[in-house]
Amino acid sequence: MNAVLDLVAVALVVGATTLIGAYGLRISRTTSDFFVASRTVRPVWNASAISGEYLSAGTFLGLSGLVLLSGAEGFWFPIGYAAGYLLVLLFVAAPLRRSGAYTIPDFIEARLESRRARRVTSAACLLIGWLYIVPQLHGAGITLQVVADIPPWVGAVLVAVLVAAAAAAGGMRAITYVQAFQYWLKLTALLVPAVLIAFAVGGGARDIDPLVVFPAEAGPSGLDAYAAGSLLLALLLGTMGLPHVLVRFYTSPTGGSARRTTVLVIVMVSVFYAVSSVIGLLARIVAPDLARPGLADTVALVLPARVFPGFVGELLTALVVAGAFAAFLATSAGLTVSLAGVISQDVFSGSVRSFRLSALLVALVPLAIALLTQPAGLVASVGAVFVFAASALSPVLLLSIWWSRLTARGAVAGMVIGAVACGLAFLVHAAVGGVGMAAPLLAQPAAWTIPLATAVSVVVSLTDRSGAPVRAGAYLARLHTPGRS
Amino acid sequence: MSAGRVRVSAGAGKPGAPTRGIALPGAPVDDVEAAYARALRRSQLRLALGTLFGFVVVVLVLYGALTLIPELDQIVWFGVPLSWLLHAFGFYPAIAGFAILYVRGANRNERRYRALREEDER
Repeated sequence: MNAVLDLVAVALVVGATTLIGAYGLRISRTTSDFFVASRTVRPVWNASAISGEYLSAGTFLGLSGLVLLSGAEGFWFPIGYAAGYLLVLLFVAAPLRRSGAYTIPDFIEARLESRRARRVTSAACLLIGWLYIVPQLHGAGITLQVVADIPPWVGAVLVAVLVAAAAAAGGMRAITYVQAFQYWLKLTALLVPAVLIAFAVGGGARDIDPLVVFPAEAGPSGLDAYAAGSLLLALLLGTMGLPHVLVRFYTSPTGGSARRTTVLVIVMVSVFYAVSSVIGLLARIVAPDLARPGLADTVALVLPARVFPGFVGELLTALVVAGAFAAFLATSAGLTVSLAGVISQDVFSGSVRSFRLSALLVALVPLAIALLTQPAGLVASVGAVFVFAASALSPVLLLSIWWSRLTARGAVAGMVIGAVACGLAFLVHAAVGGVGMAAPLLAQPAAWTIPLATAVSVVVSLTDRSGAPVRAGAYLARLHTPGRS
Repeated sequence: MSAGRVRVSAGAGKPGAPTRGIALPGAPVDDVEAAYARALRRSQLRLALGTLFGFVVVVLVLYGALTLIPELDQIVWFGVPLSWLLHAFGFYPAIAGFAILYVRGANRNERRYRALREEDER
């Protein structure tokens, strides 16, 4: 591997990000520009930006690593991530766009007319966002360590500082262009090596036995139905609970364009996941020796040099490194912007100045966590965040859009119970591992925490004497009816 | 908040009906419009649940095929068993297909709603 070339690639991505961010800075002037890009972003740009920020370290490096490590089980993750957008489209995209709110806490407060429900939602958003930034920073650390033997903390600090600075400087407008660019960079960075490696492997005299490289036990038929089902449920519902995903819909001009944007996003992320899956399949053929925990996540970086020794391999590696950095930057930037929006409106005055201060605060916490913890599998860490989001936020979000009798008390109870149940399950599982029959229920809790949170919300709302907000009916009508055109 | 149009209507409801808060911008104010809006919400929910149901059925069928037909492991394309290829790439067309179907249906529902409302205004 050529460390100089890889570092140049990182520098180029950082440079391009700064330049495009600076361009965005020149044209973002008002508070509304900072928070939601003034709602004038075209569907194609918006879809590229949404896809760009959605495709994180977890899928860029982690997916091929997981397919290498544990086989076809790994394919469920990208399928769930893509299908998560189908649920966003079906249940939340257009209504949320019409709500006129800037952030999820804004929406919950307007819908339930309660400051308390707002504060609980803000806390859940912050927790989800922070947990999601941590694996991005870990990924940056791993990448720099593999390609240039630089200590992992350097990569984490680099990404955190860049993201905080970019968000503070330009807000959502700058971030939109940066992320649209980063989607196409990420796709290219995996597509080119995937095609070249596939041709090399297909044309070369590599003697492989498909049934040894792709054994049936690690294949689609060797899966545990409960684990796969519970995971898929969490990934499907988790997407809508991610703070940086929803804030994007506020940048579409109308409810109808929010829907078109979502369809484009589904196609764009699906194409990326298909390419990433190709890398995973190729990894099983070319680099079976890397199938060890901790090492597997580096396979996308190592693969090109394995197949093409010499300059071509080095060039391809540099391209993959650039794409990986785009992944860390895009996701953590999107999260930082939306979390900074939450903090600046909840804690401070909601002005542009407070947004900048919040962006710095938001980036520091996950950096501290990342420096204090060891990277686990990237896909597993990201997957856990989805389970948490699906348990804590998604049920309440769905009910508040579709059920007029939801009350503030019901929403708070649902969010708290969902978050606590999911958090406890993970903590107990991490502490004692399997406990006989309960082991799968603790490892993949979504199948019971999501129904539990939903049931608690519904029951508490129905027994709440204060009743639903008087204007709930009118608010729902506004969410679900198109504007005059 | 965007400044929308607030429609004021008088004498449409029963005399002396209690005032229910302030109308939100763009919110329906009279009963007929509220009924249309409720009907639209219901049909959108039905469409969404129907689409979700169809998607889940397709996922279960594909998953069932992958687990219950061992022959798929034996067929090898480009050095990879067909079952792996189906699992890796087979689900995305279904996701995109249902997404497109839903958007068409949702737009149709909204067109119908607009037509009803305009007819009502004439």
